[in-house]
Amino acid sequence: MIGNDIVDLKQAAKDSNWKRPRYLDKIYTKKEQGIIFSAKNQDQMVWLLWSMKEAAYKVNVQQFGKRFFNPKKLVCNLISFKKGTVKIGNKSYFTCSETTKDYVYTVATLDNLSFYKSNCFKIVGLNYFTQSKFLKKEMLKALNRSDLDIKKNKIGVPRVTLKHSKLYYSLSLTHHGNYNAYAIANL
Amino acid sequence: MTKEELITKLKTIVKPYIQNEEAFTNLTEETDFINDLKINSANLVDVILDVEDEFDIRIENDDMEKMLSVKAAMAIVNEKLATK
Repeated sequence: MIGNDIVDLKQAAKDSNWKRPRYLDKIYTKKEQGIIFSAKNQDQMVWLLWSMKEAAYKVNVQQFGKRFFNPKKLVCNLISFKKGTVKIGNKSYFTCSETTKDYVYTVATLDNLSFYKSNCFKIVGLNYFTQSKFLKKEMLKALNRSDLDIKKNKIGVPRVTLKHSKLYYSLSLTHHGNYNAYAIANL
Repeated sequence: MTKEELITKLKTIVKPYIQNEEAFTNLTEETDFINDLKINSANLVDVILDVEDEFDIRIENDDMEKMLSVKAAMAIVNEKLATK
């Protein structure tokens, strides 16, 4: 199973003021806040940890079928800027992140050696829905099948379908600001 | 506060963060913040902080965990106001 999450750093700076009172306390543990405050680039660190949590959450929702909003329950452990783990209760997820000056992108998997395909790209000036459609089309192109469709189930988990029947891929879509990404793995 | 008053207040709070105008216009108790209104999850934190400020309450993480829909938010606000 796979989950991914992208944060457009310019968009995040516009949309979210993480210095707002009580903001960090709602989503980050004391230890995570320590990592943020000791980071050279605090903005980048806020969103790196956030994308790790979101990516791991997306795997957890596929696994257990239950949505929730409690980012502090998702505990990050940063091994390097690239590698980390996220614990949700007694479950662990492995994360692989890419941090640039423009975006932070994380893919989360159930084990360290999972094979997956992921792709991250920039599109400027599309609205939420057009961007979402474009992203699905790009992902189907990557699967190299024109007879497939992507539909979200009741709790928002995307599934690849072939004329109403489910196929055994795990996939994850993400877009934020001008950045889009998808990740595909076997279930 | 009546149910309608509470919905109106919540509507004002979520307005700056929504990405789906149509779902916002047709907002009901059943509306989901993320799936319907397309609120970015990082902004859901802002929604919760704004709710705390507006009603002068504090929402613990265990309560926040359920706050994915208008209905759930209403239940939590009412519960907190009752114990104030």
